[in-house]
Amino acid sequence: MCLGGRVSEAAASAAEKTAALLKAMWERNLPVLRERVGGLSAAAEAAVAGGLSEELRVEAAGVAHKLAGSLGMFGYPEGTAIARELEVALGEVEASGTRLVELVRTLRDALPL
Amino acid sequence: MRRILIIDDEDDIREVAGLSLEATAGWTITTASSGAEGIRVCATANPKPDAILMDVMMPDMDGPTTFRKMQETPGVAGIPVVLLTAKVQGVDQRRFAGLGVASVLFKPFDPLTLAQQIADVLGWPSV
Repeated sequence: MCLGGRVSEAAASAAEKTAALLKAMWERNLPVLRERVGGLSAAAEAAVAGGLSEELRVEAAGVAHKLAGSLGMFGYPEGTAIARELEVALGEVEASGTRLVELVRTLRDALPL
Repeated sequence: MRRILIIDDEDDIREVAGLSLEATAGWTITTASSGAEGIRVCATANPKPDAILMDVMMPDMDGPTTFRKMQETPGVAGIPVVLLTAKVQGVDQRRFAGLGVASVLFKPFDPLTLAQQIADVLGWPSV
């Protein structure tokens, strides 16, 4: 076998190993992810009810930011895009509850939670 | 073999970045969960890391502040720092680039190509 063949075999093996580890990590992190999405859902519902406090809004924006930065690396780029929209929406002092609920629902639909 | 220090408050980011750099490039990884811990780890490390991969948004001391403190810390100053950020707005990108860091990479990163991205921005040979 030529050197190029061994290199590409090694790269394929590293890719397979990384993919398997990522899958295992995703499954291990599911409880945290569910909790985070649940927190966003609670913030959205509070906004609909007119009771989204400044503290909860900022905290939820931080959660959306974390999700935006991590979902794509697990293979869910759509999740990252929706989380970014949530972060922007939650960055507004008068966040629209209806919009937040819609985005959280879309986020749930995009993820195998 | 390259040595990389990863500083991020998020467990999953540290873990994914670490395993991807180990698996795809064979680099040796050390991690820290805060800027303060990162400076401490880096100051006492022997040998020193070849580069630091650091999150921007962290509680207590964010990435830019940690970077500035690193430049005042003997044994740490001068080690190339690559910032990781989920901020995509141009104003943030320009602010981070103006700090004097080696480069800014964006989250979410692709675990399969992260090592190559780091090698590229630091001018290291291809992994």
